Amino acid sequence: MEVKITEQGGTMTAAFIGRLDTPASLDVTREVQPLLDHADRTLVLDCKDLTYISSSGLRIFLTIRKAAAAKGGKVIVQDICDDIRQVFMMTGFLNLFEVRNG
Amino acid sequence: MIQVSHLSKEYPGGVKALRDVSLEIHPGEVISVIGPSGCGKSTLVRCIEGLEAPTSGTVDTGDSRLGMVFQQFNVFPHLSVLDNVTLGPVKINRIPKAEAEKKGMDLLRLVGLAEKAQAMPDSLSGGQKQRVGIARCLSMNPDVLLFDEPTSALDQTMKTEVFGVINELAKQGMTMLIVTHELEFARKVSTRVVFMHDGEICEEGAPEEVFERPQKTLTRIFIRNRRSLLFQADSREYDLYKFNADIEWFCQRNHLGKKYFTLELITEELLSHFLPFTGPIHFRIFLNEEKKLAMEIEQENCSSPIVDSPDADEIALMILQGLCASIQEVQEGDSRFLHIVVNDVYDQD
Repeated sequence: MEVKITEQGGTMTAAFIGRLDTPASLDVTREVQPLLDHADRTLVLDCKDLTYISSSGLRIFLTIRKAAAAKGGKVIVQDICDDIRQVFMMTGFLNLFEVRNG
Repeated sequence: MIQVSHLSKEYPGGVKALRDVSLEIHPGEVISVIGPSGCGKSTLVRCIEGLEAPTSGTVDTGDSRLGMVFQQFNVFPHLSVLDNVTLGPVKINRIPKAEAEKKGMDLLRLVGLAEKAQAMPDSLSGGQKQRVGIARCLSMNPDVLLFDEPTSALDQTMKTEVFGVINELAKQGMTMLIVTHELEFARKVSTRVVFMHDGEICEEGAPEEVFERPQKTLTRIFIRNRRSLLFQADSREYDLYKFNADIEWFCQRNHLGKKYFTLELITEELLSHFLPFTGPIHFRIFLNEEKKLAMEIEQENCSSPIVDSPDADEIALMILQGLCASIQEVQEGDSRFLHIVVNDVYDQD
């Protein structure tokens, strides 16, 4: 699992590459710290290359959302695959996040 | 008709590969021989073909011409695909080359390889080579085709190609005896299934009888285990990557498409958030009687609720409830069992 963080204008993008499962979530929690530090901005969670997510991964997304809500920022989840969309649907995350595809 | 009577085969050292096996093969029958490795099924087919001499018993092939397709393709690498198919008819049957080539092209069309007639075997995939092997066998006009694990050296896509050809031959009424590990294929293509164990025919019958209502315990255990994936977690240091690889392999073998995503997610949520690791945990993934994907999880040394626990992780629980059509918890002795039927609402394929 790899997280690539880039910044452009006022937007910070984290591209998640691979599987966000329980073993990966510890490292990823550390790697997304820059997003939590800049949670007053627009944060894009780019999931184009995210192939799997479990509740441990979803909890990281939730932490980012809470930080943004607290600091007046905004979170956009981008390009989730069908399998992950179903996980978002069954957990209510589809209503919790702005999800953009394409 | 081929009549196998009281066939026994003993190898030096006392290994008994066949014990008093009798079998009749009638015209138009497609018989699949299944059974665990070392049960004698390959020895049986090799004795029928005459590649091995039985210790006792007889094989009466009457006037039937036999052809055999092997696991390791057996195509001549220095001959083109068409020459592989015409070699036997021209050299052995003395058929004029032009006539043999015309028939060879018909056979290559039958196995879907007419376009590759001039190609050399090295440029072909394993599945294509095996189809050349089948066409080469057919070129000698056999009455009965024998297959010795024809797809065990192939990946799933190539297996499907070869199954397609065998299925087509079955439709055309070709008599075939197929030794295979592929139970789903055996079930679909066969008119009769023979289950062998320890050198003996343990049970035989129509595919739906042998697969759905096996009479012998050994058959039941074999079929249940072949259709199941078993793995075990002894401590929290379990190897999730190994479990995931096994799940993907199981899904591939059972043509379950992208179901591995669901199975991996259920397994991970249970291991990470629900199972208390009070002792070894045994997972079994299988297709139940209604052909639904199911899981059975045994947590040893546990008597308290697992999924029904008031401390359950909320997100993990929502995922489990979304992915599972039903989750039942049962206490049996010192173990807590979870019986899960996987939801198929989200099937993509």
